[in-house]
Amino acid sequence: MREDDIIICRCEDVTLGTIRELIRQGYTTLEEIKRIARCGMGPCQGKTCTPLIAREIAAITGKGIHEIMKQNHRPPFGGVTFEEIVSGRDEE
Amino acid sequence: MRIREHPILEFERGKKIQFTFNGNKIEAYEGETIAAALHAAGIWHYNESDVLKRPRGLFCAIGHCSSCLMTVDGVPNTRICVTDAVEGMVVKSENRGDIK
Amino acid sequence: MIHEYDTAIVGGGPAGICAALAAGKNGLKTLLIEERTFLGGQLIKQTHRFFGSEEEHAGTRGIHIANDLKSELEGMSNIDVMTSTTALGYYEDGILTALHDEKMIKIKPKSLVLATGAFERFLPFENNDLPGIFGAGAVQTLMNIYGIKPADKVLMVGSGNIGLIVSYQLIQAGVQVIGVVEAASKIGGYLVHASKLRRLGVPIMTRHTIKKAIGTDKVEGALLCELDKNWQEIEGTQKQMSCDAICLAVGLTPLADILSQMGCETTFIGELGGIVPKRTADLETTKAGVFVAGDLAGIEEASAAMLEGELAGLNAVKFVTGDERVTERIHHLKEELHGLRAGPVGEKIRYGLAQLFEDSVITSKKIESHEHDITRLAHTGIPSQENIDEKLPDEKRMIKPYAVIECFQEIPCNPCVISCPFGAIYIPKEDINQSPIVDFDKCTGCTSCISGCPGLAIFVEQRNPEQRKGTVSIPFELLNRPQKGDVVELLARDGQPIGTGVVKRILYGQKQDKTAVITVETDIDLVNKVRNIQLQRTGKKEVM
Repeated sequence: MREDDIIICRCEDVTLGTIRELIRQGYTTLEEIKRIARCGMGPCQGKTCTPLIAREIAAITGKGIHEIMKQNHRPPFGGVTFEEIVSGRDEE
Repeated sequence: MRIREHPILEFERGKKIQFTFNGNKIEAYEGETIAAALHAAGIWHYNESDVLKRPRGLFCAIGHCSSCLMTVDGVPNTRICVTDAVEGMVVKSENRGDIK
Repeated sequence: MIHEYDTAIVGGGPAGICAALAAGKNGLKTLLIEERTFLGGQLIKQTHRFFGSEEEHAGTRGIHIANDLKSELEGMSNIDVMTSTTALGYYEDGILTALHDEKMIKIKPKSLVLATGAFERFLPFENNDLPGIFGAGAVQTLMNIYGIKPADKVLMVGSGNIGLIVSYQLIQAGVQVIGVVEAASKIGGYLVHASKLRRLGVPIMTRHTIKKAIGTDKVEGALLCELDKNWQEIEGTQKQMSCDAICLAVGLTPLADILSQMGCETTFIGELGGIVPKRTADLETTKAGVFVAGDLAGIEEASAAMLEGELAGLNAVKFVTGDERVTERIHHLKEELHGLRAGPVGEKIRYGLAQLFEDSVITSKKIESHEHDITRLAHTGIPSQENIDEKLPDEKRMIKPYAVIECFQEIPCNPCVISCPFGAIYIPKEDINQSPIVDFDKCTGCTSCISGCPGLAIFVEQRNPEQRKGTVSIPFELLNRPQKGDVVELLARDGQPIGTGVVKRILYGQKQDKTAVITVETDIDLVNKVRNIQLQRTGKKEVM
């Protein structure tokens, strides 16, 4: 196994090599990498991979970590079934 | 393996129960999570990752990392590390939405 | 139906529980919600005694603190607790939605305290996703909550407090810890924790990192290598060790996702663990009436979490009722927090907080690192002989028993002072970080301090020059406790066997709270060297 094969995003099986390649291609923000490679869209919502990806972006681009670590989070935080959202129960 | 003797803690285990994992009977105690019971039974390799088919198992045990998602009683994407084992539960490590 | 409350607390760990209690005791109709089926968060996994001062339950085991706090909650009729309840989001109309037993519920609190805690970091190395690689918290959960042996042989990565404490707890659970790997040149956590591991024979490999996990579908070993000053691998230093589990204790990050959803401003501060809420010294975020506490506000220790929880809860009271009576206690809590953070080990927190408060009210009291050089201790977990000699009385005094407090690092902790029935241990009240000093005129060698010390760093010696013999009393919290009369193997500070001795006395009662105090008799030359014992394989009994 080579360094490039190291798993960075467990949910979507994205490797260090893929991340580095994307950054070199010019995708130097977390939001862009999320949209292309799906890192941050999986069940853990980026908890595991985000700090590691940010570190790579910083290392390759020289950007400061503060600039990189800006994210948007949207609810819900946790799994809710569709049924629960749309079921339209009578409320007391 | 369950700890029987500990220098500080005393483990009060609940009632013995049984559930199935991929068709195999697994013993557990009431109050244990599915992941805890599987770990005690020596089952550490849960399944393979979606894309690269890499072997995966428990990692954070607190519901934040998505390594332990399984289909429990027909419901996929159940985090077994925060789900208590219940008598008769049917746990399958295959976790795809197209499971009938 | 919308559930209305004066305050809702999200997260039932130490910070959340303390916030709920503060709010409830001051008359607020309080709701505490917790994702898991049980309260206590990380606190219920902590079998060790806590540091800090009496106010932070110092000297008490984490599990007991958790039980005490939970009992207090149960006694409060104006606090509702909902477990198995996950906060889903907080909206402009002041509604907090939550999932309770799969059903979505709506809550309308006048104020909010977020205490959602943190989660473990991941580390990039080859095969880092193999089964058998666990976060340190996972291992703690398995063994301390469910009583399940996590593995047979563990390699611990990370020498911060979590890595050191969990390694010790693994040994208590009957697991072998083959080593602790630390990339930096110095040990990250409290050095008393490191010393405990060293005398149990666990190597602490500073300037090392893990390169690869070995195994096809489960961990079978690890490949380590040494690092140079620039954190680069040194050629030719790769070393393979066999193990069936690798535990990652490489840091925590606050669980801050709900904050950005709510519109609370956040910022990235590495020293505090990552993305943290912007907040005032009163723990109020940029959204009025929304407070934060515990690891969410910045990664720290459980003692700080409990203080912050109470601080946030009281500020919620002030926000809802305008009651000024809580102001004095609020001020006191801020002082306690400041005291905890004032010493050398609080430097990272102080630096992190200074970035948070542009006009820094956190003035860091620069404590002169004490005159004694603890370099060797910081790199290896073993003090130098100079460090040790400084803690000993005159030779003439050694004929009667005396306490040797091998606590050299300035950490915020003083249960030893309280544990001594004769007032023989001294730490100045103004500075809880200073190393304790023993007044050998008052010390009787009663060993009360041995079981009181959270770092298990106190020993009682006695020397008999005429007979060339002596005794040493040590704390013992492991399986396979010897019995009186057993001949045991004596181990030095580095875990190496250096001789044998006879167990003369064992104290193990309610006062010792599971820390046995074992007194062994041996040659006078070994008395200051022996810091651990183990049963000999043959378990010979002394012939009376």
